Amino acid sequence: MSENKKTPRLQNALMLTDKGYRDLKGAIGACTLTNFSMMIPAVVMIQVIVELLGPFTGGEISWSRMWLLFAAGIVGAVLVFLCNKNDYKKTYVVSYMESENARTTLAEHIRKLPMSVFNSKDLSELTTNMMGDVGTTEHVLSHVYPQLFSNAISVTVICLMIAFFDWRMALAIFVSVPVAFLIIAASRGIQRRLGKKHAEAKLAASEQVQEYIEGLKVIKACNMDGERFATLENALRTMRNLAIKFEFGVGVFVTGAQVVLQAGVGLTVFAGVTLLAGGQIGLIPMLMCLLIVTRIYGPIQTELTLLPELLYHQIAIKRMRALMDYAPMEGAETPLDDYDIRFDHVDFRYNQGGEETIKDVSTAIPADGITALVGPSGSGKSTLSRLIARFWDVDGGKLSIGGVEVKGLDPEHLMGYMSFVFQDVVLFNDTIYNNIRIGNMDATEEEVLAAARAARCDEFADRLPQGYQTLLGENGSTLSGGERQRLSIARALLKDAPIVLLDEATASLDPESEASIQQAIGELIAGKTVIVIAHRLRTITAADKIIVLEDGRVAEEGTHDDLLDQKGLYHRLFTIQQESLGWSV
Amino acid sequence: MKENSKPKTGMARLLQLAATKKPLMIGSVILSSLASVASFIPYLAIYYIVREILGVWPDAAALDTARLVRYGWLAFGGVVLNILLYMGALVCSHLAAFGTLYELKVNFATHLAKVPLGFHVVIGSGKLRKIMDENIEKIEEFIAHQLPDMVAAVVAPVVMAVILLTVDWRFGLAALAGVAIAFGMQIAMYGNEGAKNMMDKYQKSMEDMNNASVEYIRGISVVKAFKQTVYSFRRLHDTIKAYTAMVIPYTLSWENSFSLFTTLINNIYLFILPVGILVGMNTADFTGFAATLIFYFIFVPAIAGILMKVMYVNSNSMRILNGVEAMDSLLAEPALPQPAESRQPAGHSVEFREVAFSYDKDRETAALSGVSFTARQGQVTAIVGPSGGGKSTIAHLIPRFFDVTEGSIALGGVDTRQMKSGDLMNMVSFVFQDVFLFKQSIKDNIRMGNPAATDEQVVAAAKAAQCHDFVNKLPRGYDTVIGTRGVHLSGGERQRLAIARAIVKDAPVIVLDEATAFADPENEHLIQKAFEKLMKGKTVIIIAHRLSTIRSADKIVVMDAGRVVEQGTHDELLERDGKYAVMWRTYNETASWTMQREGRNVRV
Repeated sequence: MSENKKTPRLQNALMLTDKGYRDLKGAIGACTLTNFSMMIPAVVMIQVIVELLGPFTGGEISWSRMWLLFAAGIVGAVLVFLCNKNDYKKTYVVSYMESENARTTLAEHIRKLPMSVFNSKDLSELTTNMMGDVGTTEHVLSHVYPQLFSNAISVTVICLMIAFFDWRMALAIFVSVPVAFLIIAASRGIQRRLGKKHAEAKLAASEQVQEYIEGLKVIKACNMDGERFATLENALRTMRNLAIKFEFGVGVFVTGAQVVLQAGVGLTVFAGVTLLAGGQIGLIPMLMCLLIVTRIYGPIQTELTLLPELLYHQIAIKRMRALMDYAPMEGAETPLDDYDIRFDHVDFRYNQGGEETIKDVSTAIPADGITALVGPSGSGKSTLSRLIARFWDVDGGKLSIGGVEVKGLDPEHLMGYMSFVFQDVVLFNDTIYNNIRIGNMDATEEEVLAAARAARCDEFADRLPQGYQTLLGENGSTLSGGERQRLSIARALLKDAPIVLLDEATASLDPESEASIQQAIGELIAGKTVIVIAHRLRTITAADKIIVLEDGRVAEEGTHDDLLDQKGLYHRLFTIQQESLGWSV
Repeated sequence: MKENSKPKTGMARLLQLAATKKPLMIGSVILSSLASVASFIPYLAIYYIVREILGVWPDAAALDTARLVRYGWLAFGGVVLNILLYMGALVCSHLAAFGTLYELKVNFATHLAKVPLGFHVVIGSGKLRKIMDENIEKIEEFIAHQLPDMVAAVVAPVVMAVILLTVDWRFGLAALAGVAIAFGMQIAMYGNEGAKNMMDKYQKSMEDMNNASVEYIRGISVVKAFKQTVYSFRRLHDTIKAYTAMVIPYTLSWENSFSLFTTLINNIYLFILPVGILVGMNTADFTGFAATLIFYFIFVPAIAGILMKVMYVNSNSMRILNGVEAMDSLLAEPALPQPAESRQPAGHSVEFREVAFSYDKDRETAALSGVSFTARQGQVTAIVGPSGGGKSTIAHLIPRFFDVTEGSIALGGVDTRQMKSGDLMNMVSFVFQDVFLFKQSIKDNIRMGNPAATDEQVVAAAKAAQCHDFVNKLPRGYDTVIGTRGVHLSGGERQRLAIARAIVKDAPVIVLDEATAFADPENEHLIQKAFEKLMKGKTVIIIAHRLSTIRSADKIVVMDAGRVVEQGTHDELLERDGKYAVMWRTYNETASWTMQREGRNVRV
């Protein structure tokens, strides 16, 4: 073993920080102290009993000693109070601090993950990780672990003390303890299996709930008592059934263990009486044991009921760990001073083993020009543009910007060079002003407003009650599509990055907005390296280069006129579109 | 306490919820009470043992060992009985709890589908989700554990008080005085307004954190693009910090009272001891006195156990209650009223009569005002106008996603409010801008339009909507589940699936939002073909964004700022040279826009 500080196993198993682990140990210590302080009343009572029994063995009772014991009891109570206070503070503060830490760490980690993770993972699962699983940790740290350890410590100490007085009584009191724990341990497999199933059913139900809420409009439109609602109902029903199974599966063993444990009361009385009758034990030790036996099983029983919670926690930890094990994207912060983008035999697939979305693409996107990506849906236009921004890493070949391989660049650093105007605009539950400022948090107020004006946001912002300070609802639900687009263009303008990735469909939401958006885009692309995903071919006829994609491959490339002359795919698409422009209902 | 007629709040509401499964709960309560009675048996057994011993002490040989051992078994039997009864209580209560949760969730989900749609937007999906996933889930704890415990907590102290007072009323009173003080503190702690406020704040900060995390994850792809993960991260981080900043002082505010409570119930013997000394100093029957005092000393720890249970019942039910309140406030949101019987429409024309509508009752700005027009059966009626003009609102009012504030909407001459929503929905198909597909097979997604459709009908609809080709290219064809790995549908493809859904429904009225019909050149052509199939012979209301597509519509309704400014055919409107004519000219200019460097917009 190395001399280096090794993370202790417990700390690792609980995913605790160094401080959290130290604090947990402190909390356990505090709880143990509390447990010992709770013995003071028992000790005082035993002394009182000793005093009371004096006359039975020929002695005299001393009332003044009794008053003294009473005073000692008061002092003891004060100690109990102080110990309780101490452990209360320690256990809660440590658990809340740790859960804050865990949430922050998870969030921080999630933000560095490659886009591919968000593609394959469910939104609700990630949120469950961050909120629910951490919540479980919070609970376990404050209510389970400190008690579990401190109870184990104090019970052991008491057991040893009794054994010191009389090993037979100790045996009578504690013989049932290992049996009870064995029952629990033996049932772990079943509990774990049930627990896993239950957790899965919970997650499934949670996903259904999410989908139900999001798809409510369709559900209403399709008469909600239809198919969809049954799916949610089924998920809820399954969850109910598994919850019952889980509770009972666990409950049977826990209760069984409790019965076994409590059998110790009968056994102790039996042993005590027998020994007493045989003269092998004094009356006082015997009464002391009776006193203890009525108290000791409480904490042990708590242990038994807490154990299943640990199972839940383990499942939560496992899920969090799986998330933390996703490798974040990393890279160097190499400065780029040339924005020529080059694809060299690039292959890409979304999922391992899946079909390639981009197949052996070799092409170049010249700096300072407008390059259009054209092709039928599913041809790979969006994928290609997002590869440039390293949303994903290419699987084969080389993709470089200004001679620097994208794979080796830090994603955040790379993003600094790019602006995006896509169709799916995500807005935050914040003011319009702050939603624009996301483009560049260092911008002054004038700059933000200038960008907003250039993107023609004034038109709708001025209409709103508080102008730019108006709060948008969840995902900006109060804005129309065209307004959202303009807002996202304002963000891009503010960012002023040298490379602009643009989805041209953006510019076609409604007749009135369209002119504004076109003007805004005109402002945005001036003097930039522009990559546009084109839908209406009319708009990109003047592009410096048009790359025509089909089925993940480059079918043709060149200028508008070159491509029309070639009479290939582009020619066909352009003709179809000219025809459909004339279409009407 | 509130009046009875009012919706129940507080503990009354929780009990009302628990009564969902009444027989089970009654069984649970009875078993739980019996269990708590049984829990005292061992202490009584020990008391008899002590009395037995002290009666003959110090003559150990005179002990009736057999009798003492019988007491020992009595103690053991009492413990086992207690556990078994309690377990029986829990079996009943858990069955009741999970059944209740299930019903509550189904009710809540059903209710969500009945209230106006705008409601969800205002509340936010994070909150709705939390209610379904967490708030309702917490009620389990109350019904399954707390209610049986609570009953035990009522029964046990009564039995306890009886035992305490019958054995020796003086010691009993002393012990009860200690219990009363501890209880009084409990009530003082949780009963006051300050505690309630703190609880609300705690819930609020928890909710904020929840919403922020939903937003954080939903928006992550975009913030990454803007290199602003730090920004959205900070927003989330702030709520996380705020939660900690809230929860720690909140928890610590109980520090003293909680510790004092624990201390008190663990030291109740200190109330008995001085009484014991005073009584003992003057007693004639010292043996009886000693046995009784020892009994009390042994019995007193039981008090601690019982009172701790009460303590947790109290603090937890407050937490649960807050969740229930959140749920109830949403359930209190009135559902759109439904008529008892649907009136049968004559024909399928859609008529707006002086319709006014506002999304927010408090806000002055009306989304629509004085809107009147008729969309005739067998004709295409186009709604055009600038964004924010009220086009989409019109589309949302037809299926009663909201109710009009003034005026009425008639379908075949019948006010839509006089039709059951099921009947109304059967008559109207929608293709919305935001196509939502469920994580089910393509087949099932299409079939949502008409659950009774056969596989053949589904495929036929898919063919008509130009879906067949791309569906067949998917790994499992029509059985491909949306959202599974490797399944990526483009916007155009999703749109066409939505059209297939509408085709399979085959409703006489069709509401179309054509905004996404731009996905890509080839698609556009296909979508247009799909639309043509869909619209044949129907009452079609189309929310048009591009004017070229609706040039030959039978009627064009021009909206601006929530009002109808013009209506007529394309030619009529051009002739009038009003708003539509201006829009048409702008449209023609923008349609010829090309993207050029240096921001020059060259018209072709």
